[in-house]
Amino acid sequence: MSSHNNSSSVNDPRQPSSAKPFLPPAVSPQDLPVDYSGFIAVVFGIAGVMFRYKLCSWLAIICCAQSLANMRNVETDLKQISMAMM
Amino acid sequence: MKTTSNNRPTSLLLILLCLLILSLSLSSVLADSHFEGFDAEDDVVEDESLDLDSLRKLTDLPLTQSDSSPPITKTTHLTSSDPQSDSDPKPNPTPENPKLSSPTTSFDYWDEDEFEGVPVLHPPPDTQETTENAAPNQNLDPKTTKESKTVPVPKKPSSYLVEIVSVTFLIMFLINYFTGKRENENLALAWAAKFATKDSIFEKNFSLLGVGEGDDSPLLLKEGQNVFKFYASGRRYCSGLLATMELKSRHDLISRLYNLVVPCKDEITFEVYMNEDAMDHVVFAMAKKKAAKGMQKELQDLNRFAGLVAAPTGGRKWVADELGVISESKEVAGDMITDTVLEQVFGEKAFEKFGRGFISMHLSDQHPGIQKKVLIFKFALPDANNMTDMTRLVALVPYYIDLIGRYKLSPQARSKTDAARQKAAQEAYKELQNARQEALQRKKAERKKMMEEAEAKLSAESIRKREAKERTRQMKKAMPRVKMTRGN
Repeated sequence: MSSHNNSSSVNDPRQPSSAKPFLPPAVSPQDLPVDYSGFIAVVFGIAGVMFRYKLCSWLAIICCAQSLANMRNVETDLKQISMAMM
Repeated sequence: MKTTSNNRPTSLLLILLCLLILSLSLSSVLADSHFEGFDAEDDVVEDESLDLDSLRKLTDLPLTQSDSSPPITKTTHLTSSDPQSDSDPKPNPTPENPKLSSPTTSFDYWDEDEFEGVPVLHPPPDTQETTENAAPNQNLDPKTTKESKTVPVPKKPSSYLVEIVSVTFLIMFLINYFTGKRENENLALAWAAKFATKDSIFEKNFSLLGVGEGDDSPLLLKEGQNVFKFYASGRRYCSGLLATMELKSRHDLISRLYNLVVPCKDEITFEVYMNEDAMDHVVFAMAKKKAAKGMQKELQDLNRFAGLVAAPTGGRKWVADELGVISESKEVAGDMITDTVLEQVFGEKAFEKFGRGFISMHLSDQHPGIQKKVLIFKFALPDANNMTDMTRLVALVPYYIDLIGRYKLSPQARSKTDAARQKAAQEAYKELQNARQEALQRKKAERKKMMEEAEAKLSAESIRKREAKERTRQMKKAMPRVKMTRGN
């Protein structure tokens, strides 16, 4: 079945004339998956500052690291993360 | 054969940020240690008071008994005095001994409390004293001595436990980030090397490979750390093919741990965008039985046009028992499941061997979205070393492009599907009109509200004006009187 059959029996399936270059679909920032870890980081950070409970601050830093690792485009996410770092 | 380099700066940035985090965390350790000190001191004081209480309970001494004793006791302790050395050799401590020694502890403590400014001299004698006192009191209360000895010392390491744990976790996270990233990249590159380099399936079927322009364009586009995209175009019947690899988030330690509990697979999804004139009315899907039921319920086009198709009775070969088939009609299902496909992948025997990575396929000319005629194939990726396992699955993609491109429905089936699509189109049109009308009505209502509010404002203003006028009138009435009074 595979491509070998096709190429041998029915000429070449390739059509360079109809090739279209790749257009990356524009993704609006709202469509991006929600950055839960960043949100949690902000919550923990505030809790850590409010209650002077250092475990919260550490959890916030860890969540920050996670959201850093998972971010897809730098521009939008860096803002959030810098917020969380504060 | 390279990934796009648009993420290089991000990785650099990442490293920088991670360093920043680390440095911050270090500084916060120092800061925390400051607070730590406070905590520890508090704890010590509490412990002492506890000791004191226990001692008091044990001894129940009147405080008045040793008014003049404190100076004496200090000297005695510093020089390891006689009364204590006398009391030590005694095998059976008399009740007098604890009475003598315990008030000294209490008074030392009181002293400390009173002269908070000069605590430097006291602590060493304090500890000495407790240990010395412990000797005669051993059979009475060994616990207090233990506490006084052991508690304040291990308190500090345990208080750094959180820091130690989280810093080690962060380091592990960092290491895992780089190793996991490399793993994912290797997997994606292995796939591309197998199926998109020279003399491979995609090279033979598509004239343009890769996400960029030109011959030397990168094959894979990296989106995030675990999503890779591959694009191909320039083939008959279709305008383009987009393969999206969604790998496990190996770079993320937390989700890696989560995946230990809830396992997931590396998936690859092929989306083939068919030319408008190259696809007849086909709505067809196939997946494992449970998943097929889910798809039938969830996907709009399948739900609308297609239903589950049972295996035909009679001698005809059919797909493996695990697979469920969803189709618009039996005719379409029969034509889509050809003998070659059954022989190669979906037949009972072949599926056990080659179909392990098969998740689902979905051919539809009514796909919701901009592109209506789309073929979607979903497979699980094998290890980087066993990429050949999925060769037959990948070969399904061009095969189905050709099959669909050449496929023509029989006139009977076509009339049915035409009717169904017209009905659907009419309903969609009606829905659209309804939505428009609703929007219009909403606008009207909003306008009405605005008008009413404006009127209300106007009326309020007119009332104010009226009031103002009345006031001025009254003022006018009042004015002459005032003048009169002034004049008088």
